[in-house]
Amino acid sequence: MTRAATPMLAIRDLVVTVDGKQILNGLTLEVAAGEVHAIMGPNGSGKSTLAHVLAGRPGYEVTAGSVSYQGRDLLALAPEERARAGVFLGFQYPVEIPGVNNVYLLKAALNAVRKARGLPEVDAFDFLGLVREKMQVMQIDESFLSRGVNEGFSGGEKKRNEILQMLVLEPRLAVLDETDSGLDIDALKIVAAGVNSLRSPERSCLVVTHYQRLLEYVVPDVVHVLVRGRIARSGDRTLAIELERRGYDWVSGEAA
Amino acid sequence: MASPLTARIAEQHASVARTLAARLPGAARRRLAMETLARTGLPGSRDENWKYANLRPLERASFTPAALTPPAAGADAAVAAALPPRLADFMRYVFVDGVFAPLLSDAPGTGAARVTSLAARGDAADAGPAVPAPRHEPGADQRFALLNEAFATDGAAIEVTAAPEAARLELLFVASAEAQLGASYPRVELKLGPAGRLVLVERHLSAAGAASFVTSAVSAELARGAALDHYRVQELSSRAIAFDTLAATLAQEASYRLHAVGSGAAACRSTLGVRLAGEHARVALAVAALGDRTQVQDAYALIEHLAPHTRTAQTFRGISAARARVAFNGKIVVARDAHGSDSRQSLRGLLAGPEAEIDVRPQLEIYTDDVRCSHGATAGKLDDNMLFYLLSRGLERDSALRALKWAFLEDVIATIEVPELRRQVEERLAGAMQDGAALREELI
Ligand SMILES: Nc1ncnc2c1ncn2[C@@H]1O[C@H](COP(=O)(O)OP(=O)(O)OP(=O)(O)O)[C@@H](O)[C@H]1O
Ligand SMILES: [Mg+2]
Repeated sequence: MTRAATPMLAIRDLVVTVDGKQILNGLTLEVAAGEVHAIMGPNGSGKSTLAHVLAGRPGYEVTAGSVSYQGRDLLALAPEERARAGVFLGFQYPVEIPGVNNVYLLKAALNAVRKARGLPEVDAFDFLGLVREKMQVMQIDESFLSRGVNEGFSGGEKKRNEILQMLVLEPRLAVLDETDSGLDIDALKIVAAGVNSLRSPERSCLVVTHYQRLLEYVVPDVVHVLVRGRIARSGDRTLAIELERRGYDWVSGEAA
Repeated sequence: MASPLTARIAEQHASVARTLAARLPGAARRRLAMETLARTGLPGSRDENWKYANLRPLERASFTPAALTPPAAGADAAVAAALPPRLADFMRYVFVDGVFAPLLSDAPGTGAARVTSLAARGDAADAGPAVPAPRHEPGADQRFALLNEAFATDGAAIEVTAAPEAARLELLFVASAEAQLGASYPRVELKLGPAGRLVLVERHLSAAGAASFVTSAVSAELARGAALDHYRVQELSSRAIAFDTLAATLAQEASYRLHAVGSGAAACRSTLGVRLAGEHARVALAVAALGDRTQVQDAYALIEHLAPHTRTAQTFRGISAARARVAFNGKIVVARDAHGSDSRQSLRGLLAGPEAEIDVRPQLEIYTDDVRCSHGATAGKLDDNMLFYLLSRGLERDSALRALKWAFLEDVIATIEVPELRRQVEERLAGAMQDGAALREELI
């Protein structure tokens, strides 16, 4: 037998409550390095809860189970430590922060991550070059740099900005929560290209989506269906197509 | 009403009245001020609009001007060390404990702005009042301005005439005397003639961390079409007590922009009164206050729309951390004749500690139908979602908190159009936010 490599992410029997309400009910999921997994599931099934728990958002109580990231106990780390260790959350609803400008955030975040990797602060010139290049990939105008973080951005611009941040930070594990929602067709392709540009054997991605369309561009290795706080079914990419055709009742019924 | 406090003020005034008589604002005005104060007394914490101010230090204060006693050895060096770097293209005038310091100042200007030391003017101007007689009802409370008028030792009289370029002046008021040695009374009398333009920096600082008692008064008269850009920076030592009163009157089409940033003093109370007396006069008031430890930052701003088509934009941003108390009471009155007026108010307070207090209060009194008013006032904690967003990008908690507080003040700081001044103010605020150790723990 070959010894299995340490998975990028291993979630075991995770139980999470929010305000006394149990949302995740013993969720188990494993993502190997280099893989892209898609998570689908009805509204309110716990997808964003899972994403937030992975990023360390306060207010979620883990009452049972474990999460290991590259073999480390992820739940023991503060949110900023997770980010510096290479975990990135693309928010379903990116937050507007008037008065803190985009370029400040990008630079502070990049330097925080670099510091954790033992690298020196980025040179101002190199930084601008890097950001310009990534902005071109995401087709975001340079004028956005001096604007407040997400301030007054349209829904689609906010999502593209999330991916821009991801491209600059080059995380090991990206959790993208409905990054495709609210995107027009062109923007969807741009976002998909951004995600694909980071695909590599050392990186993994967890893509939460309601639509099979994104998965045509970002082709997943595994598709999971989350129902009432646990994985009800997993399969290859054809599962997404089947779900689109038959609806969630089909899996929910089975899981009940 | 002769309370023990007013009796003590009268007694101390009597003992210095003769020495002060020769100086502006003149014996007659001083006497009048004392008579009025004897009648009204100084504000008490039960008075409307004074409940957030810290008035207790008055009980122990000495009202005698510190400037009348010779300075302590080494005071000059401490004052020189307290002066901030110069601002390019600004004439600088320094006052130490309320008295003009010619050696630290530029020569009185000869251009569009004529600056005179009030003390130097002597008796000559005693005949006529240089400042409009103080009014009590309606209008912002002038009682601390009266105290200043009674005891003032010196000050700046500034007259500005129209010129192609706005005049640029920096007034530095350095408080160096400990309160038990006496008080200081910075005083500015500003007159902008028709179409006169002035950029004025008024900055209050301390030498060697002195625990001074400072009562300042600024009056500004803007004639038709005059424009005043007024930067007011309060950076007194954390042991100082400060009361200031500002009264501005604007004629037709005059424009007044006040940018005030207060981060110093143990307790500071600002009383601002702006009268929009001429048609199309407009005022923009941007005030930022930062309170940490046990500081009290209290401000009251009254803007009166007295003529048609007058405009107000008022912005307040205050942060209260640790056990500090920060309050802003912004009152706007639109008189019956002030039709077609427009007033906007945005007051926001940020609570950065479980024991901190913040109070922002908008007040509107409108006596005409034809007016546009919008106002918003909020007080709350830092937004948890914003904080988490920044943390999720790897920022240190401290940096994230600082960035958010920074962003909060930005609406006011961004209005500072003198680049070096803005940098100096930003550096000071960054320092204040950094050493507020209690500040950071409690934000979440
Ligand atoms: N603070 C809270 N108190 C109580 N219930 C909560 C709280 N926050 C979330 N929930 C509930 O948890 C459940 C899961 O929410 P979550 O946001 O994870 O769903 P989701 O799968 O991401 O849904 P969607 O597809 O609509 O984005 C929902 O029923 C939601 O109402
Ligand atoms: Mg969701």
